[in-house]
Amino acid sequence: MVRSKTPLFLLAVLLAPALVGLVVFRLYPIALAVSDSFFNMLRGNQVFVGLDNYVALFTDSAFWKSLQVTLWFNLLINPIQIALALGLALLYVQKFKGVAFYRVLFLIPIGVSLPTAVIIWRIMLSPDGLANGVLNIAGVPGQPWLTSESLALYSIIAIATWKGISYWMIFIIGGLQNISPEIYDAARVDGIKPWQRLVFITVPLLRPTLLFVLVADVSINFLLFAPIFMLTQGGPADSTNVLMYEAFKSGFIFGDMGRAMAIIVVVVVILLLIVGLQFRLLAGKPEGK
Amino acid sequence: MKMWNTALAISMVAAMTAVPALAQDKTLNMIVIEGGDTTAMQAVVDAYTAAHPGTKINLQPYPFAQFFQVAELRLRSKDTGIDLVYVDAPLVASYASRGFLAPIDASIDTSTLVSAAIDAGKYDTTQFALPINNSAQVLFYNKKLFADAGITAPDGLTAGQNASQADVDTLGSSKRWTWEQVADAAQKLTVKDGGRTTQYGFTVEQFGELYQLQPLGESLGTDVIAPDGVTAKGYLDSEAWVKAGTYWSSLYNEWAVSPKSLGYGEAAQLFGNGQLAMFAGGTWNLPILAQTGVDFGVAPFPYFEGGKVLTPTGSWYVGVNAASTNQAEAFDFAKFLTTSDEGTRVWFKALNQLPVSKPLLDEISTSADFDAFPNNVFRLGVYDSLNTAKARPVTAAYGQLQDAFRTAFVDMANGVAVKDALESAVQKFESAAARVAR
Repeated sequence: MVRSKTPLFLLAVLLAPALVGLVVFRLYPIALAVSDSFFNMLRGNQVFVGLDNYVALFTDSAFWKSLQVTLWFNLLINPIQIALALGLALLYVQKFKGVAFYRVLFLIPIGVSLPTAVIIWRIMLSPDGLANGVLNIAGVPGQPWLTSESLALYSIIAIATWKGISYWMIFIIGGLQNISPEIYDAARVDGIKPWQRLVFITVPLLRPTLLFVLVADVSINFLLFAPIFMLTQGGPADSTNVLMYEAFKSGFIFGDMGRAMAIIVVVVVILLLIVGLQFRLLAGKPEGK
Repeated sequence: MKMWNTALAISMVAAMTAVPALAQDKTLNMIVIEGGDTTAMQAVVDAYTAAHPGTKINLQPYPFAQFFQVAELRLRSKDTGIDLVYVDAPLVASYASRGFLAPIDASIDTSTLVSAAIDAGKYDTTQFALPINNSAQVLFYNKKLFADAGITAPDGLTAGQNASQADVDTLGSSKRWTWEQVADAAQKLTVKDGGRTTQYGFTVEQFGELYQLQPLGESLGTDVIAPDGVTAKGYLDSEAWVKAGTYWSSLYNEWAVSPKSLGYGEAAQLFGNGQLAMFAGGTWNLPILAQTGVDFGVAPFPYFEGGKVLTPTGSWYVGVNAASTNQAEAFDFAKFLTTSDEGTRVWFKALNQLPVSKPLLDEISTSADFDAFPNNVFRLGVYDSLNTAKARPVTAAYGQLQDAFRTAFVDMANGVAVKDALESAVQKFESAAARVAR
């Protein structure tokens, strides 16, 4: 009895910081968000209104438009980011002349903080900015990158992708290096073509890594806020008004914290559903069983 | 146990030494807008603390674009880390209705302040905020660019020319340009090189902001929202506002005389670089522009042909956080800032905004110090505030209105159809305001 007590105590001590962190920084805010979503806080006092905030949300066209934008944004950005990250990772592990130079290029976006990157892109994409300058030299008229309803969301996808893919690339490189070279040797002996090697060996063996990257990437993109806040503020004509921005506007501009929290709860539920689905479809059986 | 006793003893000693220190040195925290406002407020703070050595005032500046959110968040959370807060005139109702501000100490004598400005700081007949200053908008124009283009500049106040209050009254009442004249001149003053605009004809300083654009539609006869404070249908989407919105949209799309998505303070920068021929902006730009070497003139804020002359007004107030534990000291500083001769003077000199203090206003109208340019521009502010100023709507949903309005006007500048943008703003404002009113 005495012997088992010591490790348990030690275990508790060692785990305590993580558990306290989990409760204070994750569980408590979630509980607070859920409970706040049942209150109207537009007056000085908090008034319990039950499900009113949710009912108001689901009958509000602004919310539905925002949900639509969020889903479309994620449907596009996640496959693009992962495909590009995989492509870059495959390129990164190749051996060719000047590879070191390209490796540095690939890693630059990680070294730039998100706000800095967004500011640089804002200057480049401004109506008289570098991007349009290059287009003008090529004889193409300048484009309204961030100021047109039909382009703004795609510009944000491009910026977020530029910033994000090197990060995911690093995970995929790790996954690639875990694949035993013997498998490729065997494949070569069997006369497998390079594209078959990718489809039938690399991608299946990368599945655990790709699942992690997919889940983490979806979570981050679902909660993407800074570029939208800094570049378009949800406009033009709500074309970039994702749910996180709608929640921010409700809470911090309108002081309607109950509505903001209801939106956050909806976002978390949707995210859990998507991530749950991804685990079900992609996880497969654990290795070695 | 021993460890706890030691800790307790240490903390008690610390508490005993800290209390007298706090009683001697009160530190007040004030949130202000970054830039010129902070510099000017620091000047007032320095003057105040020179006479009150026991009080320290710590300014916490935030950029204009984030100021409203920060104030909202910190007041809502009953943050005792701020004692004094900048309050935009139309937000007094919203803050007061939610108990964010302490009612102003009744012993503060406000009889020297303009009564309209005092009233705008009230909610339900209680004074919740004190006016720091008023504001006036004018049309700045670059004389050289007009001469180069061979067109006549508006009548205005320029360097080397004195103007009495009577002269300025004549300027304001009979020589004011129309928005049509502005558009006409702006098209002739816009220069393109290849696909790039190297010189813009005209812009407004506050891109899409209700404060500056409210007179556009209202001077054509229709208010932004209904007097009930929650309805906008028939107002913001009326014929008058469609006409105003079409004018606004044309500046960016049809005539392309204005730069899109201009940040705060960038208009004065472009104008100072000689890349902008005219801009509608606040008198606070005068000291900045005086340093640029650009030969400029100042004309009255324009109006629509056939419409009524209306000009933006109202400005910043100071309030005391209801959660502050230093309210007596905070009120004392607010009193110095808004009502004392020294405080109002230091503020006016440092920020160059139209005062609300009657002695200062009289001085502007009558003192020879204000005969010469650019000081005489303040006489234009006096004329407008007495004759043409129109306050922003009073509604507890002002934040919602401001956001819906800004979104609509930014969207229109970006090419969204005028009617769609205005109808969408009406819908957004009404659904948000209904939640406030419930």
